[in-house]
Amino acid sequence: MGGGQNPAALEPMNKENINPDPGSAEAGEARLGALLRESRVSPALPPRFQEGVWRRIEEAAAPVKVTGGIPWLDALTALVLRPRLAMATAAVLMVAGALLGVREGSQMAHQDAQARYLAVVAPNSLR
Amino acid sequence: MNRSLVILLGALVLGAALFGGSYAVSQRVCRNCMSKSVSDLDWLQKEFHLNDAEMARIQKLHEGYLPKCAEMCAKIAAKKSELETALGPNTHVGVNSTTNVNPVAQQKLVELAALRAQCQSQMLQHFIEVSQTMPPEQGRRYLAEMQRLTLGFHEQTESSMSGSAGHEHHH
Repeated sequence: MGGGQNPAALEPMNKENINPDPGSAEAGEARLGALLRESRVSPALPPRFQEGVWRRIEEAAAPVKVTGGIPWLDALTALVLRPRLAMATAAVLMVAGALLGVREGSQMAHQDAQARYLAVVAPNSLR
Repeated sequence: MNRSLVILLGALVLGAALFGGSYAVSQRVCRNCMSKSVSDLDWLQKEFHLNDAEMARIQKLHEGYLPKCAEMCAKIAAKKSELETALGPNTHVGVNSTTNVNPVAQQKLVELAALRAQCQSQMLQHFIEVSQTMPPEQGRRYLAEMQRLTLGFHEQTESSMSGSAGHEHHH
């Protein structure tokens, strides 16, 4: 903002400083103050600037809302996406599948063994 | 589509794939491992909880029965071949295109049936002998199971052909 000072405004001050009259010095200071106030160039604010600032502050402070979603579905999704829960569920599913597979596999092996015995003692032509 | 719904569906599909994959792999591995290097009599020992002494007796009976069974099967196969020859290439199910079943084919059918009956009788005799080497309760269960498995098919067929009255017969 230092660069924003008006050199033309300082010029009269220098001229008046060399004036020895004290009464005119006070008047000069007052004039100088007025000139300095005038010399501060501040850019014009956009329309409704303050209102916009407050609106943005309120938005930042407010909790995030998911719009357009079903609340319970979003809550369930958030639950599913928890890494620990997801890993635990995956592990449970794999173990359950493996146990069921072993059970079915042993039953099938039992049936295979029965079929093998039958094929030996009672060929298909007899059944 | 809703993002949450897509994620949940994806999770469901992934879960189903994990479950199904582990099920299929373990089932196959278990079946292969259990079926590998088992003897023909392995099922008997497991199903009827037989000890080694009982299994040794059954093994002896089994080895004595197999050559007889193979011999009967060979006779049946030869008789089937004779029947096919008697039927000739231009007839179906033994019916001549103009008249009835020819006498030679009829005779072969009777002989084949007699051979099958003889073979079945021999098989049932073997089952009875095997059942007698088992503890009484297991022997009864074995005999009933083998009769159901070997003769049950005919019973079902005959019952279905004779209507509801056939269901009353229990041999």
